[in-house]
Amino acid sequence: MTIPFIKYSKLMLITSGLVAVLSVFFFLKWGLNAGIDFTGGSLMELSFNKDRPQVEEVVQIFKGVQLNDTIVQKTDNNGLIIRTNFVNEDTHQKILKEVRDKYQTQDNTIREDRFETVGPSVSQALKQRAWWAVIFVSLGIIAYVAYAFRQVSRPVASWKYGALAIVALVHDILLVVGVFAVLGHYFGTEVDVGFVVALLTVLGYSVNDTIVVYDRIRENLIRHSADNFPEVVNNGLNQTLMRSINTTAKTLLPLVALYFFGGATIHSFVLALLIGIASGAYSSIFIAAPLLVVVEKWQRRNA
Amino acid sequence: MGKKYNVVKAKVISRSQVKWRVAGAIALLVVCLALVAPKYVNSGINWVNNKVNLGVPKLPESGFNLGLDLQGGAHLIYRANTANIPGSDVANSVEGVRDVIERRVRGGLGVAEPLVQTTKVGEEYRIIVELPGVTDVNTAIKMIGETPVLEFKEENNEPPRDLTKEEQKQLDAFNAAAEKKAKEAMWASWGKTDFATLVTKYSEDTKSINNGGNIGFITAEIYPEIYKWAQGHKVGDVSRELIKSFDGLNVAKIISEKDGDKQVTASHILICYQGAEGCTGQLSKEDAKTKIEELKKEATPANFTELAKKNSTEPGAAERGGDLGAFSKGQMVPEFEKVAFEMPVNTISDVVETKFGYHLIYKKAETTLKTYEVARIYIKTKSKTDIVPAQDQWKTTGLSGKQLKRAEVTNDQQSGQVQVSLQFNDEGTKLFGEITTRNTNKPVAIFLDGEPISVPRVNEPITSGSAVITGGFTWAEAKLMAQRLNSGALPVPVELISQQKVDATLGADSLTKSVKAGLIGFLAVIVFMVLYYRLPGVLAVFALLLYATLSLAIFKSVGVTLTLSGIAGFILSVGMAVDANVLIFERLKEELRAGKSLRTAMEESFVRAWPSIRDSNITTLISCVFLIWMGGGFVKGFAVTLAIGVLISMFTAITITRNIMRFVLPLFSDEGNWMFWGYTKKKSEENLTIKQ
Repeated sequence: MTIPFIKYSKLMLITSGLVAVLSVFFFLKWGLNAGIDFTGGSLMELSFNKDRPQVEEVVQIFKGVQLNDTIVQKTDNNGLIIRTNFVNEDTHQKILKEVRDKYQTQDNTIREDRFETVGPSVSQALKQRAWWAVIFVSLGIIAYVAYAFRQVSRPVASWKYGALAIVALVHDILLVVGVFAVLGHYFGTEVDVGFVVALLTVLGYSVNDTIVVYDRIRENLIRHSADNFPEVVNNGLNQTLMRSINTTAKTLLPLVALYFFGGATIHSFVLALLIGIASGAYSSIFIAAPLLVVVEKWQRRNA
Repeated sequence: MGKKYNVVKAKVISRSQVKWRVAGAIALLVVCLALVAPKYVNSGINWVNNKVNLGVPKLPESGFNLGLDLQGGAHLIYRANTANIPGSDVANSVEGVRDVIERRVRGGLGVAEPLVQTTKVGEEYRIIVELPGVTDVNTAIKMIGETPVLEFKEENNEPPRDLTKEEQKQLDAFNAAAEKKAKEAMWASWGKTDFATLVTKYSEDTKSINNGGNIGFITAEIYPEIYKWAQGHKVGDVSRELIKSFDGLNVAKIISEKDGDKQVTASHILICYQGAEGCTGQLSKEDAKTKIEELKKEATPANFTELAKKNSTEPGAAERGGDLGAFSKGQMVPEFEKVAFEMPVNTISDVVETKFGYHLIYKKAETTLKTYEVARIYIKTKSKTDIVPAQDQWKTTGLSGKQLKRAEVTNDQQSGQVQVSLQFNDEGTKLFGEITTRNTNKPVAIFLDGEPISVPRVNEPITSGSAVITGGFTWAEAKLMAQRLNSGALPVPVELISQQKVDATLGADSLTKSVKAGLIGFLAVIVFMVLYYRLPGVLAVFALLLYATLSLAIFKSVGVTLTLSGIAGFILSVGMAVDANVLIFERLKEELRAGKSLRTAMEESFVRAWPSIRDSNITTLISCVFLIWMGGGFVKGFAVTLAIGVLISMFTAITITRNIMRFVLPLFSDEGNWMFWGYTKKKSEENLTIKQ
């Protein structure tokens, strides 16, 4: 059984293109909701074993120490997550004391599960490093792709394989960014250092899916004549299809387990990985391969 | 078919070689399991040791290195304000602050494994402090933020002042009241009232007041007076007189008694030689040895005291005859103690060598001391030291870090010895001159944060304002000392610019959750592999198990810090580890479908899948390398475990799986069967020709 992917390449490319454009649109419209890692500021997680105070009351306490941009959220397990500006230790202790004085009773103990405060210079430096890491990884991967496709091949030049693999990769990244722009807008999902880690991992992981598919197509080109290029591509796709699905499934399975059972702290990190890796498998089948056929067609027309 | 393409030459490996490799893989699995879970292995070793007395040594039961987000703790980043430090000294000064912080964290907070390191971000120096397991972060932050105090102190010889009349009167009144109260309690205790009730009513000992006054089994060291009283009384007795201890009055009751430490009564003869500790005699080591051996021949329990009086070089031996009285463990030097406790009573030991010289020991008796469980009513009394505090051994001189210009490591021009030289400012020069004049041939102590860091002896008055501390330092020791001195002389203020704190409960919760998620993910992958690829899948699962234990063993032995993100990285790499096997098995399926024989298909699929496996792992490793460069606990934790995982998976998924398959495949007919995915019944021509 052979699935005629290439027959529908136009449809697939248009859909994928639309998804990418939408992602860019959401990103430009809403931007990403940067977390305190990158903006500086504080995050405090309190848990109450009986009654938690109203959100408004807590906001007032923070206003009392000139922290006017305070956002308080309720958590699932009777706690509060509070986001505010950078605070020094004295203010932190003052706030804690006030919360305890007001709401702590014999049977309602308050625990500070987590407290993070990041000064502007630290977040600045991290932001810079993250950008550099993104740039370095991209360059490294482009270099490797160029190396992996260094051998001459016909009818499509090697460097074009490399370029198309990068196009597929850009699609994956855009999708992750787009989803997080939407999540950030509607659910306040933040983009923290974990998001960058996920992105860089996706960069490394998703491109290899494309490499596997392309490798197979090139292997087939050596064995068979390139007379019917679309068919050779389609055969290669079909041959690697189960492999793509299986490896992706096996990488996604543990991630899904981690997403549902792994605790809230790394929720969005795992989500970014899930989207990126799934998209990596999708893009090598539905973008990278059809694009190859399109490019070959252009070449023939222009020749 | 029929077209030309690369013919894969599979390496031919003999059956016995394959057997050895598989055995090696199994041995590796066992070793890794033992490393990962030493507890179970140790209980096994215990069992063996109990059954047959082999004395198999146990494995160290160290745990994994957990990050702050899993065990709770704090991560603090400080900015060092180096504005007032001359350019060339900056790096050293920051290093000095780091040392001060580490000492405070270790000593003051008792954090066993703090991480205190300096980094430079742009032009800014930062100090990163990691405090695993610390709950009271606020106190830690306060302690770290204080400016270090460097002080020079001299010996304090002044006697403590006398009490004023007024103070004496108050003291007497206080103690009289205490005695009255204590007597009242004692009289009441002879009556019918329950002892515990009286404790609640009278006792001032906060530790035992809620416990019926019970202070547990007591020793002669900690409660000498009460112990002495208990020795003459029996269980249930209440003291008929107040027992005076150094800090108060006690009414005691013996709750129970049991056998405690052993005590030995013995005398000894010491023959010391030149160079032994405290020896004033002139004997050489050889002569001392000859002498003690002669004495050993001569000595009997009857003449031992006489011999000791005549020969022992111990001061006072002539009067006491070497009598040591009764002693318990811990009171004598170890070599001496060992012999004295092990030898039979009423005998004389062989020659024992200790740092004091050569001994002969005559053991007179061995008794087992009783130890008593005691309840008490305690009434506090005061003494002179409660009003006039006991004198410190050192007193301040007024010379501090402020008057010290700088300290540096130099070499003595004549001897070349490493030394630390100090330079004082004008005020310091004057003060230091006075101090050294006053204290010539006496020690002067240098304190940092209230702890002595060096106690050099003054050889001569130094009025020039520059001094050197010598004393056989190594370069590193001298450098540390100079840094410590400078941290007081050129204080570098630090400012907290970032803090992360995770409560231990949340950390433990995250740990259980992620371990659970990992196991579920692992099982899901196993089920998938076995159901989909059948027999090869089962073999791959073995490789996967080896992969997981090998990774964990490496994390443990290399000391990789496992963070929440690190566990995520590991879980992700489990998925990736199978990737290589999937590539290979998909190939195997195709080759089998193409009608190749099982063995050829297997070898070919490994060779053909290799380039894809290599490519996919290299791109992941590129990401990992830059992630590690980007740094930060979360990022590094993830990238390190993922990178290690990817590297190991290449080994397990390819080398291990391949050899296991080589081992297993000959058990099946060459056409394969239903246990292999891709198996088809029809035999192609090619198959037949290869089969020969």
